[in-house]
Amino acid sequence: MTGLPLAGFLALSAVLLGIGIFGILTRRNFILLLIAIEVAMNSAILNFVVFGAYWGGVPGYGIEGQSVAVVLIGLAATEVAVGLAIVLALNRLRGSINVAEATVLKL
Amino acid sequence: MTALAWTVFVPELFLLGAALLIFLLDSLGILRDRRVELFGGLATVAIVVALVGVLADLRFAPLASLATVPAGVVNAPWTLLGGSLVAVTSFGLVFQAIFLTSALLVSLASLSHPSDQKGAAIFFGLLLIATLGMTLAAFSADLIFLLLSIEITGISTYLLVGYTRRDPRGLEAAMKMYIIGALSAALSFFGASLLFSVYGTTSLATLGGPILYNTHFPPPLLGATSIALLGYGFLVVGIGFKVTVVPFHAWAVDVYDGAPSDVSAFLAGGSKKVGLFGYFLVFLVPILLSGRAPPGLPPIPVGFHVLIVHFGLPLQVVFGVMAVVTMTVGNVLALQQTEMKRMLAYSSISQAGYMLIGLAVATSPAVAGAVLLIFAHIFMKAGAFIVVGAVAGLGVGSRITDWKGVGLRFPFLGASFAVMLLSLAGIPLTVGFVAKFVLFSAAVQAQGWFVWLAVAGLLNSALSVFYYARVLRVMYMEKGEAVVVPIPAGAVAGGSDPPLLGVGGIGYGRAAAIGVAVAIIFAFGVYPQPVLASFQMAVNHLLQVL
Repeated sequence: MTGLPLAGFLALSAVLLGIGIFGILTRRNFILLLIAIEVAMNSAILNFVVFGAYWGGVPGYGIEGQSVAVVLIGLAATEVAVGLAIVLALNRLRGSINVAEATVLKL
Repeated sequence: MTALAWTVFVPELFLLGAALLIFLLDSLGILRDRRVELFGGLATVAIVVALVGVLADLRFAPLASLATVPAGVVNAPWTLLGGSLVAVTSFGLVFQAIFLTSALLVSLASLSHPSDQKGAAIFFGLLLIATLGMTLAAFSADLIFLLLSIEITGISTYLLVGYTRRDPRGLEAAMKMYIIGALSAALSFFGASLLFSVYGTTSLATLGGPILYNTHFPPPLLGATSIALLGYGFLVVGIGFKVTVVPFHAWAVDVYDGAPSDVSAFLAGGSKKVGLFGYFLVFLVPILLSGRAPPGLPPIPVGFHVLIVHFGLPLQVVFGVMAVVTMTVGNVLALQQTEMKRMLAYSSISQAGYMLIGLAVATSPAVAGAVLLIFAHIFMKAGAFIVVGAVAGLGVGSRITDWKGVGLRFPFLGASFAVMLLSLAGIPLTVGFVAKFVLFSAAVQAQGWFVWLAVAGLLNSALSVFYYARVLRVMYMEKGEAVVVPIPAGAVAGGSDPPLLGVGGIGYGRAAAIGVAVAIIFAFGVYPQPVLASFQMAVNHLLQVL
């Protein structure tokens, strides 16, 4: 792989993961939380694409990188679908999707 | 190269088929007023068939003729499988049997739900899918396959926790579990991607062994070894959420408390164990291959060099510290609980600490002891949650003080619960004692700093006796009258645990599940040799294969 340096991609994926985790920890709106989860997942997907291409030059190595990325996109979509189902049920029950109002179970 | 045929997956196909059939029958609306019997019966039969298939594959003598996996495939060295995603090891098969047993116990107990219970199809269908994910995980020879299977279990259990949909406690628990589960999945896959960046493969047999590098690699930011260690760090955290290791445990208490008791039983007895299995599969290789090359090193590409790595000691120290912290924090917090299910949840966290000793020591007897404890934990903890569900269905409150006189009013439930708690505390003649004895003596045999893990485990077991004894005292020594449970506004009558039908108000299925759990606690507590020997053999095979 020529052109962009590998370290740049690693840094980008680390930043994406950081943004995702920060969002998961600070967002109180469930929908924004789902977006944060998606961003965090995408950091792993980006890494698989980049290093699949990097190892692609070595016979027998790195073949799974691209396919793993596609599978993970599917997994992320599944996860969001389940998250939305939970949001819908919560909204029907309480009329609110604010995570901070979930206080029935004490911490 | 040993060929793997589709017949390997016959037990899983039964689980998948039954789950799809349940969803189909539900959408067709067949037998609406007998749906628990129909769907629960289907699920139970499918799990029994799968369990028979797995025992046959383990060459369990009376069933060996039913085996669907050729003998040559079981325990074939991983390097011969040539980048396959799937490997059949007796270690994995033992874990499949453990997962299926916990699912069987839960589905048997849930047969006692009211016949026309809403969401019965969702409950039994998702129970089967979650079990399918766990059994698939036990086949993995590839990190991505393992993590995806764990996610199948995870995604179905989020929905299982909130399956009643009208119960605010269950839904809130589902939401918390979902957020934590999605975070842990992202961290695990990020860790996997870092390991992939260093190794160029996701095969579990290669990860953790020597690193290949050329002049372009390691990348300028960090060395290859640090990136691999960072990847393992993310995996420790990501899978640690599933195992409920301290400090990643806080969600588990809320979820076990808020979920319907039968689902809590499945979470504690089954889905948590798939995380522990993942820990063993992912981390035994780097610990055992530390400082040496594996026997069958794949051909090294031109221009590459081999870097021998030493991940063993750092990982063992991490797991040792996590084991001690987890068991101590779990026990100390369990002492302070006033709610029965929260007490059981913290006790479950502390048990995860004992199990981690097996991974820190990483000798064959220690791992076998941990597997025995995982096996025993199904009957002790899942059994205890099933009893809690039955007692709640009889109208007793959820606080420990509400359980006054339960032991005398409901002799069967009380006595069973007492046996399970004594086994959790590690009192002799129970399987809990045998498992801890094997585990701690293996740690002592390993010498060095591992002895301190055994000491910490012993002290913690002594500490845990206090809160188990307190429950026994409330149940048997204090006089109680019928406790009326106030139903919170907006909740369905009976809360998340429905009232049950059948013998003494607890249901035939549930009575059978509790009876089986108690019988097994005693049977393997008195005569553990056969099951311990088979676990030992399975672990030895795994250590040879690696």
